[in-house]
Amino acid sequence: MKRQMATTRDLDPDLPYDTEAVAGILEHWRDIPGNLMPILHDIQAALGYVPPESVPQIARALNQSRAEVHGVISFYHDFRSAPAGRRILKVCQAESCQAMGSRALTADLEAELGCGLGETTGDGEVTLEPVYCLGLCACSPAVMIGDEPLGRATVAAVTARLAAKGEVNP
Amino acid sequence: MSVTVYVPRDAAALALGADATATAVEAEAKRRGEDVHVVRNGSRGMVWLEPLVEVQTPAGRVAYGPVAPEDVPGLFDAGFLTGGDHGLGHGPTDQMAWLKGQERLTFARVGITDPLALDDYLAHAGYRGLKQALELTPAEIVAQVTESGLRGRGGAAFPTGIKWDTVLKAEAPQKYIACNADEGDSGTFSDRMIMEGDPFALIEGMTIAGRAVGATFGYIYVRSEYPHAIRALRSAIDTAREAGWLGNDIRGSGTSFDIDVRVGAGAYICGEETSMLDSLEGKRGMIRPKPPLPAIEGLFGMPTAVNNVVSLASVPIILDRGAKYYADYGVGRSRGTLPIQLAGNLKTPGLVEKAFGVTLRELIEDYGGGTASGRPPRAVQIGGPLGAYFDESHFDLPLDYEELSENLGIVGHGGIVVFDDTVDMAEQARFAMEFCGIESCGKCTPCRVGSTRGTELIEKIMHGEDKSTNHQQLLGLLDVMENASLCALGGMAHLPVMSALRLFPEDFGLEASHVE
Amino acid sequence: MWNEIRGLREGVDYGTPPRQGQPVTLTVDGVEVTVPEGSSVMLAAVEAGRAVPKLCATDMLESFGSCRVCLVEVEGRRGFPASCTLMVAPGMEVRTQSERLTQLRKGVMELYLSDFPEAEIADGWSEFHRTLDDIGIKTHGYGTGRVHFDLPVDDSNPYFLFDPAKCIVCSRCVRACEEVQGTFALTIQGRGFDSKVAASQDDPFMQSECVSCGACIQACPSHALVEKSLFSGGYERA
Repeated sequence: MKRQMATTRDLDPDLPYDTEAVAGILEHWRDIPGNLMPILHDIQAALGYVPPESVPQIARALNQSRAEVHGVISFYHDFRSAPAGRRILKVCQAESCQAMGSRALTADLEAELGCGLGETTGDGEVTLEPVYCLGLCACSPAVMIGDEPLGRATVAAVTARLAAKGEVNP
Repeated sequence: MSVTVYVPRDAAALALGADATATAVEAEAKRRGEDVHVVRNGSRGMVWLEPLVEVQTPAGRVAYGPVAPEDVPGLFDAGFLTGGDHGLGHGPTDQMAWLKGQERLTFARVGITDPLALDDYLAHAGYRGLKQALELTPAEIVAQVTESGLRGRGGAAFPTGIKWDTVLKAEAPQKYIACNADEGDSGTFSDRMIMEGDPFALIEGMTIAGRAVGATFGYIYVRSEYPHAIRALRSAIDTAREAGWLGNDIRGSGTSFDIDVRVGAGAYICGEETSMLDSLEGKRGMIRPKPPLPAIEGLFGMPTAVNNVVSLASVPIILDRGAKYYADYGVGRSRGTLPIQLAGNLKTPGLVEKAFGVTLRELIEDYGGGTASGRPPRAVQIGGPLGAYFDESHFDLPLDYEELSENLGIVGHGGIVVFDDTVDMAEQARFAMEFCGIESCGKCTPCRVGSTRGTELIEKIMHGEDKSTNHQQLLGLLDVMENASLCALGGMAHLPVMSALRLFPEDFGLEASHVE
Repeated sequence: MWNEIRGLREGVDYGTPPRQGQPVTLTVDGVEVTVPEGSSVMLAAVEAGRAVPKLCATDMLESFGSCRVCLVEVEGRRGFPASCTLMVAPGMEVRTQSERLTQLRKGVMELYLSDFPEAEIADGWSEFHRTLDDIGIKTHGYGTGRVHFDLPVDDSNPYFLFDPAKCIVCSRCVRACEEVQGTFALTIQGRGFDSKVAASQDDPFMQSECVSCGACIQACPSHALVEKSLFSGGYERA
């Protein structure tokens, strides 16, 4: 079927995100089948989130509608439409970790950080997120700080790790 | 003479401090002027001993663990570089009881080799399966896999050879291999351990699959929660390509095959094959109705063999040693071995590869060592979040597809999660429904709305609200979800809930007679 | 005219688009019927005069398989396949009515009712309401729970409005926008229970890629997307 693409707005140089970085990513993946997911991953890796303002640029490059791109972004829990804290702390909420006290660990971390799952600490340092299995089920409960896994996690171990990594964004 | 010391790079080992241990070993060796070569291997699967450090001695590898950085100077003092005695020592690794009784076919190399070193792979029987396959016609390869009795290890247990035969016979300008590495079931990590610990085995298996069905390109769809697996795969694929094991005209055979790694984005549903295909195409991961089968109309509308990581990684040894060798393991219609993942509240959890037929009791009590908490085990969930719960009266059940199915359960991807007697099974049933709701793609109504209603009903029962009425409503809902859902997410969510209700009615404040 | 071109009777919704192919003969509730190969069981059932209740299917759109109301039984086959996505086969014996099917269909409709404004049920005349009549259910046993009633009405378009409270998330509007009109202005936003029809990036329709063609209004089975002209004094939620 021939698509009647509605015209998207022209690129605005004042858009609140790095349009050149996005353009580079779109160029890198040009004409590669099924490229929307890797494009969104790369944009999030580069900008920390997928700015809603970047959707027209993505859509135009892929000859898709904004609706299609928005539908994909909103389906996957990994993709963020707003910046997160400086570091992401994922706490496993699945069965194996439940069997080893993850419910209490989560509650204690929420109290320690002063924010709930899906929220960011007041100082913008840490975003606390639920995750459903990290594949670290033989050392439950497990968490991940950035890309760094931590097994048999305790509040003390997690906060120590957060403090130790205070200078680096993993 | 340099001494080789192994410190695993598996994510579970890293989660327990393996990087710091490896750094400490190198620093201490340098300080003492010892010539030590540290190899970052995969994990042996004895996760409670991680970081498990091994030393190569003339008499074989000797194990020490768990080794914290502060233990390292003491190990040097004890002469561990020559296998010396130490409180953390376990003697020769191969002789450790936990490993000795296993039947490691798919995991033969995991923990032994440097997973990113192609020469190490080749030195340990690597690519022997593909070499065999290149001598066979596609139909002969498919026949070997069919005769081996290999069934899909992702959970659906569909015979791999039959699936491949369908793809082989489909005519199309392009066919694909799509490796499902979206290992989302809690309590499972065998795919991850293969990808991190022996990625070339998966690459070899996919290449054989490509030759068997006539596919020249494959995708590995890995969940984003596995960053170490993603890096290991990408590195191994580059290495294989540079050495001519991937790409055009592989090793002069005329067969061409290449692989790309694609990363999921936090959606359990994308472990369902049709949803994974939609995601690979860059769409919302929505379930497609079947038929058409992906084997006939799959990725980008082309015939596609969708196989799990463990299934594909088991193919090289089948081609290398022959279908019969593999099929001689196992019982009944469950042939070969299963990498079983022991998780949750266990003293000695990890990965055990055994022939089908091993009992739950052997796994939980012998391998698992009983609960970590020391309290009595109360419930065991087998096969992931959509798997049934069992109580101790089922511990003598053998792990095999048919036996578990007769007992209203599933083997799934082979994960076993143990809970002690502090578990609240009503809460576990509630969570099963909540999880279904969090991960529902939202296409079909029984799952989209039913999972939320199920969570609410169980909450009402837990709060003692119109118990009997809500219990009846819940049973009706579970029937609708089981029989009217579009895919297994809604269609199997009744298993954990019903088994919890049946075996632990008291946790719901229900009389046993109500739940019969 | 459109139906004539496609060889379908006017005023009858066959549920799935017609196919061309070799004739295939099967029975539906004992009635022998012959349809082209590649046709759905749903279409064959209509042809046999044994129409199956449905919500997400309509013959202007390719089958989707989401509503799970059109379940049938097939002799010699386990389970309850959806007739819209099930292809006919020679000699197939289909049952469209049984106690078990009624039980499952009622169960599915109960789930729809649990997230549909109660006050909108009695006087409605949409396809959704007709399906409720066909299956014979008007109430549900779920009590109070999460619903979508508080999502705001989008009346930005001068000709039609969208009331998410009455949306049953069948995706017919999204598919009509794609398959009939080729505009791709609509999507489902989010997933699971949070799934919601959205124009472009959840914009008001008038600010979205929507071209006001009306295909989605035609396609909506529950009057969630509906012409404003039907409400002379302005739209008010019941």
